[in-house]
Amino acid sequence: MNAKLGPAAFLAIILACAVVLAILPFVMPPFYVRVGQLMLYSAGLAIAWAILGGFAGYASFGHAAFIGVGAFAAGLVEDRFPGLPTPLLLPLGLLAGGAACAVLSAVVAYPILRLRGTFFAIAMLGVCKVCAELNNNVDFFQGSLGLNFPAIAPPDWDPAIFYYQLYLVAGVAVLLIAWQIRRSRFGAGLLSIREDEDTARMLGVPTERYKRQAFVISAVLTGLLGVIYAHSLGYITTDSVYRDDTNLSLIVYSLLGGMGTLFGPVIGAFMLVFVTQVILARLLDFHLFATGLLLVVLVLTAPGGIIGLVRGFRQRRRAKNVAPAE
Amino acid sequence: MSGTPILRVEGLSKAFRGLKAISDVTFNVVSGSITSIIGPNGAGKSTLFNLVTGYLAPTAGRVSFKDRLITGMPTNRIAELGVARAFQIARPFRDLSVAENVRIGALFGKAGARDVEAMTRHALELAAMTELADQPASALTVGQLRHLEVARAIATRADLLLADEPCAGLNPTETAAMIDVLRRIRTSGVTVVLVEHDMPSVMEVSDRILVLESGRLIADGTPAEVSSNPQVIKAYLGTPD
Repeated sequence: MNAKLGPAAFLAIILACAVVLAILPFVMPPFYVRVGQLMLYSAGLAIAWAILGGFAGYASFGHAAFIGVGAFAAGLVEDRFPGLPTPLLLPLGLLAGGAACAVLSAVVAYPILRLRGTFFAIAMLGVCKVCAELNNNVDFFQGSLGLNFPAIAPPDWDPAIFYYQLYLVAGVAVLLIAWQIRRSRFGAGLLSIREDEDTARMLGVPTERYKRQAFVISAVLTGLLGVIYAHSLGYITTDSVYRDDTNLSLIVYSLLGGMGTLFGPVIGAFMLVFVTQVILARLLDFHLFATGLLLVVLVLTAPGGIIGLVRGFRQRRRAKNVAPAE
Repeated sequence: MSGTPILRVEGLSKAFRGLKAISDVTFNVVSGSITSIIGPNGAGKSTLFNLVTGYLAPTAGRVSFKDRLITGMPTNRIAELGVARAFQIARPFRDLSVAENVRIGALFGKAGARDVEAMTRHALELAAMTELADQPASALTVGQLRHLEVARAIATRADLLLADEPCAGLNPTETAAMIDVLRRIRTSGVTVVLVEHDMPSVMEVSDRILVLESGRLIADGTPAEVSSNPQVIKAYLGTPD
Protein backbone atom coordinates (compact mmCIF):
# COMPACT_ATOMS: atom_id res chain seq x y z
CA MET A 1 0.00 0.00 0.00
CA ASN A 2 2.09 2.92 1.27
CA ALA A 3 5.14 0.83 0.53
CA LYS A 4 4.59 1.29 -3.20
CA LEU A 5 4.90 5.04 -2.82
CA GLY A 6 8.52 6.19 -3.12
CA PRO A 7 9.97 8.21 -0.26
CA ALA A 8 10.17 11.35 -2.38
CA ALA A 9 6.49 11.09 -3.35
CA PHE A 10 5.54 10.44 0.27
CA LEU A 11 7.47 13.48 1.44
CA ALA A 12 5.90 15.65 -1.27
CA ILE A 13 2.37 14.59 -0.29
CA ILE A 14 3.00 15.21 3.40
CA LEU A 15 4.48 18.65 2.76
CA ALA A 16 1.62 19.57 0.39
CA CYS A 17 -0.91 18.58 3.05
CA ALA A 18 1.04 20.61 5.61
CA VAL A 19 0.96 23.73 3.40
CA VAL A 20 -2.81 23.41 2.92
CA LEU A 21 -3.30 22.94 6.67
CA ALA A 22 -1.06 25.95 7.37
CA ILE A 23 -3.22 28.23 5.22
CA LEU A 24 -6.57 26.96 6.54
CA PRO A 25 -6.71 28.99 9.80
CA PHE A 26 -6.75 32.26 7.83
CA VAL A 27 -10.14 31.33 6.40
CA MET A 28 -11.58 29.40 9.35
CA PRO A 29 -13.75 30.86 12.13
CA PRO A 30 -11.78 31.31 15.39
CA PHE A 31 -13.57 28.42 17.11
CA TYR A 32 -12.33 26.00 14.47
CA VAL A 33 -8.80 27.35 14.73
CA ARG A 34 -8.91 26.31 18.40
CA VAL A 35 -10.30 22.90 17.45
CA GLY A 36 -7.57 22.62 14.80
CA GLN A 37 -4.91 23.39 17.43
CA LEU A 38 -6.19 20.60 19.61
CA MET A 39 -6.39 18.19 16.67
CA LEU A 40 -2.79 18.84 15.61
CA TYR A 41 -1.48 18.72 19.18
CA SER A 42 -3.32 15.44 19.82
CA ALA A 43 -2.13 13.94 16.54
CA GLY A 44 1.48 14.80 17.41
CA LEU A 45 1.10 13.20 20.84
CA ALA A 46 -0.60 10.18 19.30
CA ILE A 47 2.29 9.56 16.89
CA ALA A 48 4.90 10.06 19.62
CA TRP A 49 3.01 7.56 21.78
CA ALA A 50 2.75 5.10 18.88
CA ILE A 51 6.53 4.95 18.34
CA LEU A 52 6.61 2.92 21.55
CA GLY A 53 3.00 1.74 21.92
CA GLY A 54 2.22 0.99 18.28
CA PHE A 55 5.55 0.09 16.71
CA ALA A 56 7.07 -1.86 19.62
CA GLY A 57 3.77 -2.92 21.21
CA TYR A 58 4.54 -1.36 24.59
CA ALA A 59 1.28 0.50 25.25
CA SER A 60 1.86 3.15 27.90
CA PHE A 61 -0.95 4.34 30.14
CA GLY A 62 1.08 7.15 31.63
CA HIS A 63 2.55 9.27 28.86
CA ALA A 64 1.06 12.41 30.42
CA ALA A 65 4.05 12.13 32.78
CA PHE A 66 6.26 13.40 29.97
CA ILE A 67 3.87 16.23 29.08
CA GLY A 68 4.01 17.33 32.71
CA VAL A 69 7.75 16.90 33.21
CA GLY A 70 8.50 18.61 29.89
CA ALA A 71 6.20 21.53 30.63
CA PHE A 72 7.43 22.14 34.18
CA ALA A 73 11.11 21.74 33.28
CA ALA A 74 10.66 24.31 30.51
CA GLY A 75 8.77 26.74 32.74
CA LEU A 76 11.24 26.51 35.63
CA VAL A 77 14.24 27.04 33.36
CA GLU A 78 12.65 29.90 31.43
CA ASP A 79 11.94 31.60 34.78
CA ARG A 80 15.67 31.68 35.50
CA PHE A 81 16.35 33.77 32.39
CA PRO A 82 13.93 36.69 32.58
CA GLY A 83 16.09 38.93 30.42
CA LEU A 84 16.24 36.59 27.44
CA PRO A 85 14.86 37.92 24.14
CA THR A 86 11.41 36.44 23.40
CA PRO A 87 12.36 34.43 20.28
CA LEU A 88 14.90 32.47 22.37
CA LEU A 89 12.46 31.49 25.14
CA LEU A 90 10.73 28.63 23.33
CA PRO A 91 13.97 27.01 22.08
CA LEU A 92 15.34 27.19 25.63
CA GLY A 93 12.15 25.65 27.01
CA LEU A 94 12.20 22.89 24.40
CA LEU A 95 15.81 22.12 25.26
CA ALA A 96 15.05 21.94 29.00
CA GLY A 97 11.83 19.96 28.60
CA GLY A 98 13.37 17.52 26.12
CA ALA A 99 16.43 16.98 28.30
CA ALA A 100 14.32 16.38 31.42
CA CYS A 101 12.18 13.80 29.60
CA ALA A 102 15.26 12.12 28.13
CA VAL A 103 16.81 11.72 31.57
CA LEU A 104 13.58 10.59 33.23
CA SER A 105 12.74 8.04 30.51
CA ALA A 106 16.28 6.68 30.31
CA VAL A 107 16.31 6.06 34.06
CA VAL A 108 12.77 4.67 34.27
CA ALA A 109 13.38 2.43 31.22
CA TYR A 110 15.65 0.02 33.05
CA PRO A 111 13.16 -1.35 35.58
CA ILE A 112 9.95 -0.70 33.70
CA LEU A 113 10.69 -2.15 30.26
CA ARG A 114 11.18 -5.56 31.84
CA LEU A 115 7.42 -5.61 32.26
CA ARG A 116 5.21 -6.64 29.40
CA GLY A 117 1.65 -5.95 28.28
CA THR A 118 -0.78 -4.78 30.92
CA PHE A 119 1.92 -4.73 33.58
CA PHE A 120 3.92 -2.18 31.62
CA ALA A 121 0.83 -0.06 30.97
CA ILE A 122 -0.12 0.04 34.66
CA ALA A 123 3.47 0.67 35.79
CA MET A 124 3.54 3.70 33.46
CA LEU A 125 0.36 4.98 35.11
CA GLY A 126 2.27 4.65 38.37
CA VAL A 127 5.17 6.65 36.97
CA CYS A 128 2.73 9.36 35.90
CA LYS A 129 1.13 9.49 39.35
CA VAL A 130 4.48 9.63 41.14
CA CYS A 131 5.73 12.47 38.90
CA ALA A 132 2.47 14.37 39.40
CA GLU A 133 2.59 13.98 43.18
CA LEU A 134 6.23 15.05 43.42
CA ASN A 135 5.56 17.98 41.13
CA ASN A 136 2.60 19.01 43.26
CA ASN A 137 4.14 18.59 46.69
CA VAL A 138 7.77 19.61 46.33
CA ASP A 139 7.72 23.41 46.61
CA PHE A 140 10.62 23.87 44.25
CA PHE A 141 8.56 22.58 41.32
CA GLN A 142 5.67 25.00 42.01
CA GLY A 143 3.09 22.44 40.90
CA SER A 144 0.27 23.49 43.20
CA LEU A 145 1.10 27.18 43.00
CA GLY A 146 1.29 27.12 39.24
CA LEU A 147 3.75 28.44 36.69
CA ASN A 148 3.35 31.36 34.30
CA PHE A 149 4.67 31.13 30.78
CA PRO A 150 5.69 34.26 28.86
CA ALA A 151 3.78 35.16 25.71
CA ILE A 152 5.98 34.05 22.82
CA ALA A 153 3.78 34.80 19.80
CA PRO A 154 5.25 37.66 17.72
CA PRO A 155 3.18 40.86 18.15
CA ASP A 156 1.84 40.91 14.57
CA TRP A 157 0.83 37.23 14.67
CA ASP A 158 -2.58 36.16 15.97
CA PRO A 159 -1.65 33.88 18.94
CA ALA A 160 -4.35 31.34 18.02
CA ILE A 161 -2.95 30.99 14.50
CA PHE A 162 0.64 31.06 15.81
CA TYR A 163 0.04 28.05 18.09
CA TYR A 164 -1.95 26.29 15.40
CA GLN A 165 0.99 26.58 13.03
CA LEU A 166 3.50 25.67 15.73
CA TYR A 167 1.57 22.47 16.46
CA LEU A 168 1.45 21.80 12.74
CA VAL A 169 5.22 22.10 12.36
CA ALA A 170 5.77 19.94 15.44
CA GLY A 171 3.23 17.36 14.29
CA VAL A 172 4.78 17.08 10.82
CA ALA A 173 8.24 16.75 12.38
CA VAL A 174 7.04 13.94 14.68
CA LEU A 175 5.31 12.23 11.74
CA LEU A 176 8.46 12.36 9.61
CA ILE A 177 10.56 10.98 12.47
CA ALA A 178 8.09 8.12 12.97
CA TRP A 179 8.07 7.49 9.21
CA GLN A 180 11.87 7.28 9.07
CA ILE A 181 11.91 4.94 12.08
CA ARG A 182 9.31 2.75 10.42
CA ARG A 183 11.42 2.45 7.25
CA SER A 184 14.65 1.70 9.08
CA ARG A 185 16.26 -1.44 10.45
CA PHE A 186 15.44 -0.07 13.91
CA GLY A 187 11.76 0.03 12.90
CA ALA A 188 11.84 -3.56 11.65
CA GLY A 189 13.40 -4.56 14.97
CA LEU A 190 10.63 -2.78 16.91
CA LEU A 191 8.04 -4.53 14.76
CA SER A 192 9.58 -7.92 15.55
CA ILE A 193 9.56 -7.04 19.26
CA ARG A 194 5.85 -6.29 19.03
CA GLU A 195 5.18 -9.56 17.21
CA ASP A 196 7.24 -11.88 19.43
CA GLU A 197 9.97 -10.50 21.64
CA ASP A 198 11.65 -13.83 22.45
CA THR A 199 11.88 -14.82 18.80
CA ALA A 200 13.20 -11.36 17.95
CA ARG A 201 16.01 -11.78 20.44
CA MET A 202 16.85 -15.18 19.02
CA LEU A 203 17.16 -13.62 15.57
CA GLY A 204 19.74 -11.20 16.94
CA VAL A 205 17.51 -8.15 17.51
CA PRO A 206 19.03 -6.18 20.43
CA THR A 207 15.61 -6.06 22.06
CA GLU A 208 16.56 -4.35 25.31
CA ARG A 209 18.47 -1.53 23.62
CA TYR A 210 15.79 -0.99 20.96
CA LYS A 211 13.02 -0.82 23.54
CA ARG A 212 14.96 1.73 25.57
CA GLN A 213 15.66 3.84 22.49
CA ALA A 214 12.02 3.77 21.37
CA PHE A 215 10.95 4.69 24.90
CA VAL A 216 13.31 7.67 25.11
CA ILE A 217 12.40 8.95 21.62
CA SER A 218 8.70 8.65 22.42
CA ALA A 219 9.14 10.38 25.79
CA VAL A 220 11.22 13.27 24.44
CA LEU A 221 8.81 13.99 21.55
CA THR A 222 5.89 13.90 23.99
CA GLY A 223 7.76 16.26 26.32
CA LEU A 224 8.51 18.73 23.50
CA LEU A 225 4.81 18.86 22.61
CA GLY A 226 4.09 19.39 26.30
CA VAL A 227 6.37 22.44 26.30
CA ILE A 228 4.44 24.00 23.40
CA TYR A 229 1.16 23.12 25.09
CA ALA A 230 2.21 24.84 28.32
CA HIS A 231 3.09 28.02 26.40
CA SER A 232 -0.26 27.99 24.64
CA LEU A 233 -2.04 27.74 28.00
CA GLY A 234 0.06 30.56 29.51
CA TYR A 235 -0.39 29.28 33.04
CA ILE A 236 -0.18 25.66 34.24
CA THR A 237 -0.65 23.72 37.47
CA THR A 238 -0.01 20.02 38.03
CA ASP A 239 -3.62 19.22 37.17
CA SER A 240 -3.53 20.94 33.80
CA VAL A 241 -0.66 18.86 32.39
CA TYR A 242 -0.69 15.48 34.22
CA ARG A 243 -4.12 14.58 32.95
CA ASP A 244 -5.74 11.16 33.18
CA ASP A 245 -7.90 11.84 30.15
CA THR A 246 -4.70 12.38 28.13
CA ASN A 247 -3.39 9.01 29.29
CA LEU A 248 -6.61 7.39 28.14
CA SER A 249 -6.96 9.34 24.88
CA LEU A 250 -3.48 8.42 23.66
CA ILE A 251 -4.46 4.74 23.65
CA VAL A 252 -7.84 5.44 22.09
CA TYR A 253 -6.29 7.45 19.22
CA SER A 254 -4.22 4.45 18.10
CA LEU A 255 -7.03 1.95 18.70
CA LEU A 256 -9.47 4.09 16.74
CA GLY A 257 -7.19 4.77 13.79
CA GLY A 258 -5.23 1.53 13.68
CA MET A 259 -2.71 0.24 16.20
CA GLY A 260 0.85 -0.03 14.94
CA THR A 261 0.27 1.93 11.73
CA LEU A 262 1.83 5.29 10.83
CA PHE A 263 -1.37 7.19 10.05
CA GLY A 264 -3.73 5.39 12.42
CA PRO A 265 -2.89 7.64 15.39
CA VAL A 266 -3.37 10.76 13.23
CA ILE A 267 -6.75 9.61 11.93
CA GLY A 268 -7.79 8.57 15.43
CA ALA A 269 -6.76 11.86 17.02
CA PHE A 270 -8.43 14.00 14.33
CA MET A 271 -11.66 12.04 14.57
CA LEU A 272 -11.88 11.82 18.34
CA VAL A 273 -11.07 15.50 18.88
CA PHE A 274 -13.60 16.49 16.23
CA VAL A 275 -16.30 14.33 17.76
CA THR A 276 -15.71 15.43 21.35
CA GLN A 277 -15.06 19.14 20.64
CA VAL A 278 -17.51 19.83 17.84
CA ILE A 279 -20.28 17.24 17.87
CA LEU A 280 -20.37 16.87 21.65
CA ALA A 281 -19.36 20.51 22.28
CA ARG A 282 -22.42 21.23 24.40
CA LEU A 283 -21.96 18.07 26.42
CA LEU A 284 -18.40 18.50 27.71
CA ASP A 285 -19.13 16.50 30.87
CA PHE A 286 -20.21 13.68 28.62
CA HIS A 287 -16.91 13.52 26.74
CA LEU A 288 -14.91 11.21 29.02
CA PHE A 289 -17.90 8.88 29.12
CA ALA A 290 -18.09 8.92 25.32
CA THR A 291 -14.34 8.18 25.03
CA GLY A 292 -14.65 5.21 27.38
CA LEU A 293 -17.68 3.86 25.56
CA LEU A 294 -15.95 4.21 22.20
CA LEU A 295 -12.94 2.31 23.57
CA VAL A 296 -15.10 -0.65 24.63
CA VAL A 297 -16.99 -0.75 21.32
CA LEU A 298 -13.74 -0.54 19.32
CA VAL A 299 -11.95 -3.31 21.16
CA LEU A 300 -14.96 -5.58 20.69
CA THR A 301 -15.83 -4.82 17.07
CA ALA A 302 -12.80 -3.42 15.25
CA PRO A 303 -9.53 -4.31 16.97
CA GLY A 304 -7.61 -3.13 13.87
CA GLY A 305 -9.18 0.35 13.99
CA ILE A 306 -10.24 2.31 10.93
CA ILE A 307 -7.14 1.37 8.93
CA GLY A 308 -7.75 -2.27 9.89
CA LEU A 309 -11.34 -2.04 8.63
CA VAL A 310 -10.26 -0.48 5.32
CA ARG A 311 -7.55 -3.10 4.78
CA GLY A 312 -9.96 -5.92 5.60
CA PHE A 313 -12.49 -4.50 3.15
CA ARG A 314 -9.86 -4.18 0.41
CA GLN A 315 -8.64 -7.72 0.98
CA ARG A 316 -12.15 -9.13 0.78
CA ARG A 317 -12.81 -7.24 -2.43
CA ARG A 318 -9.54 -8.46 -3.94
CA ALA A 319 -10.37 -12.03 -2.89
CA LYS A 320 -13.75 -11.68 -4.57
CA ASN A 321 -12.14 -10.45 -7.79
CA VAL A 322 -9.65 -13.32 -7.81
CA ALA A 323 -12.31 -15.97 -7.19
CA PRO A 324 -13.80 -17.49 -10.36
CA ALA A 325 -16.86 -15.64 -11.57
CA GLU A 326 -19.98 -17.64 -10.84
CA MET B 1 34.90 -38.15 13.40
CA SER B 2 37.60 -35.55 12.89
CA GLY B 3 37.51 -31.90 11.76
CA THR B 4 37.43 -28.57 13.49
CA PRO B 5 34.72 -28.25 16.13
CA ILE B 6 32.44 -25.21 15.68
CA LEU B 7 30.62 -25.85 18.95
CA ARG B 8 32.13 -27.24 22.15
CA VAL B 9 29.99 -28.24 25.10
CA GLU B 10 31.96 -29.07 28.23
CA GLY B 11 30.57 -30.51 31.45
CA LEU B 12 27.25 -28.78 30.93
CA SER B 13 24.66 -29.23 33.69
CA LYS B 14 21.30 -27.66 34.37
CA ALA B 15 19.13 -28.33 37.39
CA PHE B 16 15.61 -27.00 37.86
CA ARG B 17 15.37 -27.03 41.65
CA GLY B 18 15.89 -30.74 42.42
CA LEU B 19 15.48 -32.01 38.87
CA LYS B 20 18.68 -32.51 36.91
CA ALA B 21 17.59 -31.81 33.33
CA ILE B 22 21.13 -31.97 31.94
CA SER B 23 24.00 -33.62 33.82
CA ASP B 24 27.60 -33.21 32.86
CA VAL B 25 27.15 -33.33 29.09
CA THR B 26 30.28 -32.97 26.95
CA PHE B 27 30.49 -33.10 23.16
CA ASN B 28 31.82 -31.27 20.10
CA VAL B 29 30.02 -30.45 16.89
CA VAL B 30 32.24 -30.65 13.82
CA SER B 31 32.04 -27.78 11.37
CA GLY B 32 30.05 -28.64 8.24
CA SER B 33 28.35 -31.71 9.70
CA ILE B 34 24.81 -32.70 10.50
CA THR B 35 24.72 -33.86 14.10
CA SER B 36 21.52 -35.27 15.55
CA ILE B 37 20.54 -35.41 19.17
CA ILE B 38 18.06 -38.14 19.95
CA GLY B 39 16.51 -39.41 23.13
CA PRO B 40 13.14 -40.13 24.73
CA ASN B 41 10.76 -37.31 25.69
CA GLY B 42 12.08 -35.41 28.66
CA ALA B 43 15.67 -36.48 28.02
CA GLY B 44 16.75 -32.82 27.99
CA LYS B 45 17.13 -32.13 24.27
CA SER B 46 15.24 -28.85 24.23
CA THR B 47 16.90 -27.76 27.47
CA LEU B 48 20.25 -28.34 25.80
CA PHE B 49 19.23 -25.99 22.95
CA ASN B 50 17.99 -23.43 25.48
CA LEU B 51 21.38 -23.54 27.20
CA VAL B 52 23.35 -23.16 23.95
CA THR B 53 21.24 -20.20 22.75
CA GLY B 54 21.37 -18.41 26.10
CA TYR B 55 17.68 -18.68 26.98
CA LEU B 56 18.72 -20.51 30.13
CA ALA B 57 21.87 -20.14 32.21
CA PRO B 58 23.60 -23.44 33.00
CA THR B 59 24.16 -24.57 36.59
CA ALA B 60 27.66 -25.68 35.62
CA GLY B 61 29.82 -26.13 32.55
CA ARG B 62 30.65 -24.08 29.49
CA VAL B 63 29.66 -23.69 25.88
CA SER B 64 32.00 -22.22 23.28
CA PHE B 65 31.17 -21.33 19.72
CA LYS B 66 34.04 -20.84 17.26
CA ASP B 67 36.46 -20.94 20.22
CA ARG B 68 34.59 -18.19 22.00
CA LEU B 69 32.96 -18.74 25.36
CA ILE B 70 29.25 -17.98 24.97
CA THR B 71 27.91 -19.16 28.34
CA GLY B 72 26.20 -16.26 30.04
CA MET B 73 25.91 -14.14 26.89
CA PRO B 74 22.48 -12.69 26.07
CA THR B 75 20.59 -14.53 23.34
CA ASN B 76 20.85 -11.71 20.81
CA ARG B 77 24.65 -11.55 21.22
CA ILE B 78 24.92 -15.28 20.55
CA ALA B 79 22.80 -14.75 17.43
CA GLU B 80 25.19 -11.98 16.34
CA LEU B 81 28.04 -14.48 16.49
CA GLY B 82 26.21 -16.81 14.11
CA VAL B 83 23.95 -19.22 15.99
CA ALA B 84 20.35 -19.56 14.81
CA ARG B 85 17.50 -21.70 16.01
CA ALA B 86 14.32 -23.03 14.47
CA PHE B 87 11.70 -23.70 17.09
CA GLN B 88 9.80 -26.95 17.38
CA ILE B 89 6.53 -25.08 17.83
CA ALA B 90 6.79 -22.55 15.01
CA ARG B 91 6.79 -18.95 16.20
CA PRO B 92 6.25 -16.86 13.08
CA PHE B 93 5.53 -13.13 13.20
CA ARG B 94 1.86 -13.75 12.41
CA ASP B 95 0.95 -10.29 11.16
CA LEU B 96 3.76 -10.31 8.58
CA SER B 97 4.11 -12.07 5.24
CA VAL B 98 6.50 -14.97 4.71
CA ALA B 99 9.05 -12.73 2.99
CA GLU B 100 8.78 -10.07 5.73
CA ASN B 101 9.39 -12.74 8.36
CA VAL B 102 12.51 -13.92 6.60
CA ARG B 103 13.63 -10.34 5.99
CA ILE B 104 13.72 -9.68 9.75
CA GLY B 105 16.19 -12.56 10.02
CA ALA B 106 18.25 -11.06 7.19
CA LEU B 107 18.20 -7.57 8.74
CA PHE B 108 19.56 -8.86 12.04
CA GLY B 109 21.30 -12.12 12.88
CA LYS B 110 25.03 -12.44 12.44
CA ALA B 111 26.95 -9.16 12.70
CA GLY B 112 28.68 -7.80 9.60
CA ALA B 113 27.88 -6.49 6.13
CA ARG B 114 25.05 -8.08 4.21
CA ASP B 115 22.72 -7.75 1.26
CA VAL B 116 19.34 -8.01 2.95
CA GLU B 117 17.24 -8.58 -0.18
CA ALA B 118 19.61 -11.15 -1.66
CA MET B 119 19.83 -13.00 1.64
CA THR B 120 16.04 -13.05 1.95
CA ARG B 121 15.71 -14.53 -1.55
CA HIS B 122 18.48 -17.05 -0.89
CA ALA B 123 16.90 -18.23 2.37
CA LEU B 124 13.43 -18.52 0.83
CA GLU B 125 14.86 -20.55 -2.02
CA LEU B 126 16.89 -22.82 0.23
CA ALA B 127 13.83 -23.60 2.34
CA ALA B 128 11.63 -24.05 -0.77
CA MET B 129 9.42 -21.11 0.26
CA THR B 130 9.83 -18.78 -2.74
CA GLU B 131 6.30 -19.41 -4.04
CA LEU B 132 4.77 -18.61 -0.66
CA ALA B 133 6.77 -15.39 -0.17
CA ASP B 134 3.75 -13.06 -0.28
CA GLN B 135 1.46 -15.21 1.84
CA PRO B 136 0.66 -13.98 5.33
CA ALA B 137 2.42 -16.20 7.88
CA SER B 138 -0.91 -16.79 9.61
CA ALA B 139 -2.17 -18.64 6.50
CA LEU B 140 0.51 -21.35 6.44
CA THR B 141 0.10 -25.04 7.26
CA VAL B 142 2.14 -26.67 10.03
CA GLY B 143 4.60 -28.07 7.49
CA GLN B 144 5.03 -24.70 5.77
CA LEU B 145 5.53 -22.98 9.13
CA ARG B 146 8.44 -25.32 9.83
CA HIS B 147 10.00 -24.32 6.53
CA LEU B 148 9.47 -20.68 7.47
CA GLU B 149 11.24 -21.24 10.79
CA VAL B 150 14.20 -22.70 8.94
CA ALA B 151 14.20 -20.00 6.25
CA ARG B 152 14.17 -17.21 8.84
CA ALA B 153 16.99 -18.86 10.78
CA ILE B 154 19.09 -19.30 7.62
CA ALA B 155 18.50 -15.66 6.62
CA THR B 156 20.43 -14.61 9.74
CA ARG B 157 23.55 -15.91 7.89
CA ALA B 158 24.17 -18.24 10.79
CA ASP B 159 27.07 -20.71 10.74
CA LEU B 160 25.27 -23.04 13.10
CA LEU B 161 21.59 -23.96 12.83
CA LEU B 162 19.88 -25.60 15.78
CA ALA B 163 16.73 -27.26 14.44
CA ASP B 164 14.36 -28.43 17.15
CA GLU B 165 12.26 -31.33 15.79
CA PRO B 166 11.62 -29.78 12.38
CA CYS B 167 9.82 -32.96 11.25
CA ALA B 168 7.56 -33.51 14.27
CA GLY B 169 3.97 -33.97 13.18
CA LEU B 170 4.77 -33.97 9.47
CA ASN B 171 3.64 -36.69 7.07
CA PRO B 172 6.28 -38.80 5.23
CA THR B 173 6.28 -36.56 2.13
CA GLU B 174 6.70 -33.41 4.21
CA THR B 175 9.38 -35.10 6.30
CA ALA B 176 11.32 -36.02 3.18
CA ALA B 177 11.03 -32.43 1.92
CA MET B 178 12.34 -31.07 5.23
CA ILE B 179 15.25 -33.52 5.30
CA ASP B 180 16.07 -32.40 1.78
CA VAL B 181 16.08 -28.76 2.93
CA LEU B 182 18.43 -29.58 5.83
CA ARG B 183 20.81 -31.32 3.42
CA ARG B 184 20.86 -28.31 1.14
CA ILE B 185 21.55 -26.05 4.11
CA ARG B 186 24.52 -28.18 5.11
CA THR B 187 25.79 -28.14 1.51
CA SER B 188 25.57 -24.33 1.58
CA GLY B 189 28.13 -24.39 4.42
CA VAL B 190 25.98 -24.25 7.54
CA THR B 191 26.56 -26.73 10.35
CA VAL B 192 23.31 -28.33 11.50
CA VAL B 193 22.39 -29.71 14.88
CA LEU B 194 19.12 -31.54 14.74
CA VAL B 195 16.81 -32.77 17.47
CA GLU B 196 14.52 -35.36 15.94
CA HIS B 197 12.31 -38.31 16.77
CA ASP B 198 11.86 -39.75 13.31
CA MET B 199 14.53 -42.49 13.43
CA PRO B 200 14.70 -43.40 9.71
CA SER B 201 15.33 -39.74 8.77
CA VAL B 202 17.88 -39.30 11.52
CA MET B 203 19.78 -42.40 10.48
CA GLU B 204 19.72 -41.31 6.86
CA VAL B 205 20.74 -37.68 7.20
CA SER B 206 23.14 -37.56 10.18
CA ASP B 207 26.92 -37.74 10.12
CA ARG B 208 26.87 -38.25 13.82
CA ILE B 209 24.33 -39.03 16.52
CA LEU B 210 24.31 -38.14 20.20
CA VAL B 211 21.95 -40.02 22.46
CA LEU B 212 20.58 -38.36 25.60
CA GLU B 213 18.76 -40.16 28.32
CA SER B 214 17.55 -38.48 31.54
CA GLY B 215 19.93 -35.61 30.92
CA ARG B 216 23.00 -37.80 30.38
CA LEU B 217 24.86 -38.44 27.18
CA ILE B 218 24.83 -42.23 26.81
CA ALA B 219 26.19 -42.61 23.28
CA ASP B 220 28.03 -40.58 20.66
CA GLY B 221 28.97 -41.95 17.24
CA THR B 222 28.04 -42.60 13.63
CA PRO B 223 24.50 -43.83 12.89
CA ALA B 224 25.81 -47.38 12.53
CA GLU B 225 27.69 -47.29 15.84
CA VAL B 226 24.80 -45.79 17.73
CA SER B 227 22.15 -48.12 16.37
CA SER B 228 24.17 -51.16 17.41
CA ASN B 229 25.01 -49.80 20.87
CA PRO B 230 23.24 -52.07 23.42
CA GLN B 231 22.73 -49.24 25.89
CA VAL B 232 20.97 -47.16 23.23
CA ILE B 233 18.81 -50.06 22.13
CA LYS B 234 17.79 -50.62 25.74
CA ALA B 235 17.12 -46.98 26.61
CA TYR B 236 15.61 -45.63 23.46
CA LEU B 237 14.85 -48.09 20.74
CA GLY B 238 13.45 -50.68 23.18
CA THR B 239 14.21 -54.36 23.61
CA PRO B 240 12.45 -56.69 21.19
CA ASP B 241 10.91 -58.96 23.84
